Amino acid sequence: MFIALSPSHPDPMYKQVTDQVKDAIAAGDLKPNERLPSVRELSEALNVSAITIKRAYQDLETEGYILTRAGLGSFVAEVDRDALRNRKLDELRTEMTRIVRTAAKFGIAAEDIVALTRQVEEQ
Amino acid sequence: MDTILEARNLTKHYEDFSLRSVSLEVRRGSIAGFFGPNGAGKSTLVKLLAHQTPSHMGTIRVFGLSYADRERDIKNRIGYVPQEPPFYMDKTVRWTARFAAPYFARWDGGGFYGLLDQFKVNPLKKVKHLSGGQKKLLSIAFALSHGAELLILDEPTAGLDVVYRRALLDRLRAFVADGEKTVIVASHITDGLDEIAEDVSFLTDGRIVLHEDKDDLLSRWKWIHYKDGALPQAVEDRLTSVQRQPFGNRGLTGDFPAVRADLAPALAAGDAKVENASLEDILVSLIKGA
Repeated sequence: MFIALSPSHPDPMYKQVTDQVKDAIAAGDLKPNERLPSVRELSEALNVSAITIKRAYQDLETEGYILTRAGLGSFVAEVDRDALRNRKLDELRTEMTRIVRTAAKFGIAAEDIVALTRQVEEQ
Repeated sequence: MDTILEARNLTKHYEDFSLRSVSLEVRRGSIAGFFGPNGAGKSTLVKLLAHQTPSHMGTIRVFGLSYADRERDIKNRIGYVPQEPPFYMDKTVRWTARFAAPYFARWDGGGFYGLLDQFKVNPLKKVKHLSGGQKKLLSIAFALSHGAELLILDEPTAGLDVVYRRALLDRLRAFVADGEKTVIVASHITDGLDEIAEDVSFLTDGRIVLHEDKDDLLSRWKWIHYKDGALPQAVEDRLTSVQRQPFGNRGLTGDFPAVRADLAPALAAGDAKVENASLEDILVSLIKGA
């Protein structure tokens, strides 16, 4: 799992952690039932307070991404990969909206963007 | 470049400290910040620039003039704020202003009292009854009230609360807004002046280890967060202050434009991220490396 926190990012630190853990689960970097680092391990590695990581884990648990077992630690839940994929799709839709609008502003057609996407994919 | 102040090979020895052959130029219309750790020589340097103490070697030209020929002319055009402003403690602020005014060729009493009002410094109070921050503001009011074209300030925000610090920073920005007037400031990086400085110099151990336009400096220095093995060796070789952690490493590069192309694949794959570095990060890295 690769987590990089940015103090200048508009999202608070705990939100950056939850988003990146979700991404790691969606991408398969974290497998169901895999043990997550302890609050202490992660807070030391990322150089943030334990409270930040606790809050992130609580949010992940509330949303059903992880399970915390007393005395054992936190584990990745059996999550619906399709739901995660849809979540990512929503994010991409937001990004695409921006790209398509920007393109339109400069007279670039949707077909050109499709062609561009193919090019990138082939690289 | 229109140079307002130029120093060559300035050297000053004290018993336990030396400023060693410092050369620098300050652009007209800029805010030039000199930053560094305690004891780096910031105060010594600005004292030399304001001719409050003679150097043992080297030359200084201000407005194209030298202190040896035209000390009085130059000092009339400079507003100097020392770290510990020397006031008569038992006298009132108003007495101090009346006493000092004749020494300035272009004293602006109206402007001075306007500033005191803005800084909430009561002119009827004795100087010894002002707080440390208020004494500093009083000194700054003097510096701003005699038509100075160049301000030389030694830790001007030390002791100020956030509200007055903000007011002072806004003042300084307004002071240089016409592009004619210039500010030289020595300060700790955490005191807010790094925000408004356009030219940044780092001092450590009596030497200037870096002098650069701040925007250029900050676009060169970046944090790179990366997964193990995600970076080409050429990029990893250019990282300093590297911290290895199980959930991603990070290192500082002072050469971002040069590594950008090599970094592109890892960035695209989401295996690396770039983050802005602060002046503090850069300064700490340079001092450690020195």
